[in-house]
Amino acid sequence: MPENHSPDDRAIIARDLVKVYPGRGRKPGVRALDGLGFSVPAGRVFGLLGPNGAGKSTATKILTTLSRPTSGSAVVAGHDVVTDPAAVRAAIGYVSQGASTDPLLTARENLEIAARLRGVAPGESRARAARLLDEFGLAEASRRPVGTFSGGMRRRLDVAAALVHRPRVLFLDEPTTGLDPEARATMWAEIRRLSGEEALSVVLTTHYMEEADRLADELLLVNRGRAVVQGTPDELKAALHGDSLRVSLVEPDPAAVRAAIARVPGLRDVVVEASGVDGILAARTDDASAAVGAVIGALDAAGIRFGQVAASHPTLDDVYLHFVGHTFGPSTDSATGATAAPTTGVAA
Amino acid sequence: MTTIALTTAPARAGWFTQAGQVLRRWLISTLRQVWGPVMSLIQPVIWIGLFGAVFSALGDLPPFGGAGYIDYLVPGILMMTVLYSGAWAGTGYIDDIDSGVMDQYLTSPVSRSAIITGQLTQQLIINLAQSFVVLGIGWLAGARYPGGFGGMLVALGVATLLATIFCCASTAVALTARSQIALISLSQLIVLPATFLSTTMMPADLMPQWVQDVARWNPMTWAVELGRGGLDGAYPAHGWWQAGGLTVLAALAFLWAVRSIRAYQRSV
Repeated sequence: MPENHSPDDRAIIARDLVKVYPGRGRKPGVRALDGLGFSVPAGRVFGLLGPNGAGKSTATKILTTLSRPTSGSAVVAGHDVVTDPAAVRAAIGYVSQGASTDPLLTARENLEIAARLRGVAPGESRARAARLLDEFGLAEASRRPVGTFSGGMRRRLDVAAALVHRPRVLFLDEPTTGLDPEARATMWAEIRRLSGEEALSVVLTTHYMEEADRLADELLLVNRGRAVVQGTPDELKAALHGDSLRVSLVEPDPAAVRAAIARVPGLRDVVVEASGVDGILAARTDDASAAVGAVIGALDAAGIRFGQVAASHPTLDDVYLHFVGHTFGPSTDSATGATAAPTTGVAA
Repeated sequence: MTTIALTTAPARAGWFTQAGQVLRRWLISTLRQVWGPVMSLIQPVIWIGLFGAVFSALGDLPPFGGAGYIDYLVPGILMMTVLYSGAWAGTGYIDDIDSGVMDQYLTSPVSRSAIITGQLTQQLIINLAQSFVVLGIGWLAGARYPGGFGGMLVALGVATLLATIFCCASTAVALTARSQIALISLSQLIVLPATFLSTTMMPADLMPQWVQDVARWNPMTWAVELGRGGLDGAYPAHGWWQAGGLTVLAALAFLWAVRSIRAYQRSV
């Protein structure tokens, strides 16, 4: 196992993590992690991307020692999460999906207590709290009870509270879920700023494609408790040759759509999804300009109604569709379930 | 890169610092929401007024030795207040579990027993304040404490032991059930029989035999009789046994609470 000053510059090494939540009564058990393994380079922002229920939060809970794996092992900041949780806890900060501060206490009191609890000396705790409040734009509100804060302010305070002891690894579990666009933009700026700090590794879970694309230096796609693919956003996009083509469908019959475009040459990775009255046809092609005309012609000929047709360079959305859509087959049901949530998270 | 982090790696806080900071958090929130403990004082006022008036004729019966019922009642109300107040102690943990604050505690290098001790100390401080007020209300209602200052300290000490038992038990149930409704229903289920199957309001001689048998082994009886002994200066015959029993129960309840917080983490 690597020591503190590990020559192996990895913030996290996870091997074969399995987590099974036992069933209660007639409810069957849930296999939240199914052999998840990955490693995280130190000093960067690492994104765990996947749909709701993919196992991102469970992985975070195990890596932060909140939860114990059913089997498998993980080393965080040089310490084993199962055999030496105390050392891991001293080295990490954790922003869970819930709150981490007491609503009746002021921002300053919350930060000072958080620092003292983690072994920071009294004077240093006050100084550190003041500096963090300043950095996170909360200095003016520092003497107000946290219960009066807006969602965005509270979230920033949660992040500040996770940094009071200068952790080496910071875990952010869906840090912008539930925030309005402005608060989300502010949080992104904070995370980018943190990623510039040396010696801090950030592990970010998200189901927003755009968030992962903007913040993560390296990404791991997770689905159904397993690692799907890992790489930098650019690497992942580059793995998809050519352009991506998207057609929004109106009241589609997936089988008819597939049959219609089966005759169009040069299309790969064809995915047809239907959700309610809307649907989408996504495909990859090396020659977008030729494909657009051919697809429109084929759909028209088959009498299929459609709306917008767009061709673009690959986005993480496409990466997602490519890997997750393929892994679990072209069946409409599974593809819809897997991609519906992230699709809504993508802005233009 | 990693070497920079190493030089700033924090030392772990000592156990007393940890418990102290947990206490600090709970005390600040108590002061900002002081109506809770204040409201819980209305109950003993009503009990002393109500029971004192309704049962005042009991004071003429021989078992009271002519001292009057109010002197008999006040130590009982003192322990009842402790019981009712202590039974709520676990609600703070359920709030913390629901909000996510508990996850913060569990992922920071803080000793589980320090978490329990910090919150317990806050509860005991509130309890002590309430006990002082109950003794004051009793005095105003006409009760006298011939046991003197030392006797009052004994009564307050016993109240603190009883509070420890019930606060810790409430904490353990809260961390196991994780539902306010379950915790409160269970408390109601226990608190009322515990009070009436003891000598809180009625001397043993006036109760049916089976109630006497139950009351003898009821920790509430031990606490009430010791408190009564302290306040009037005449301790019960089995006082040391009763004090010992309360101490053992307090220690067991504390261990139960600490075990429950660990069991909670294992279940996450």
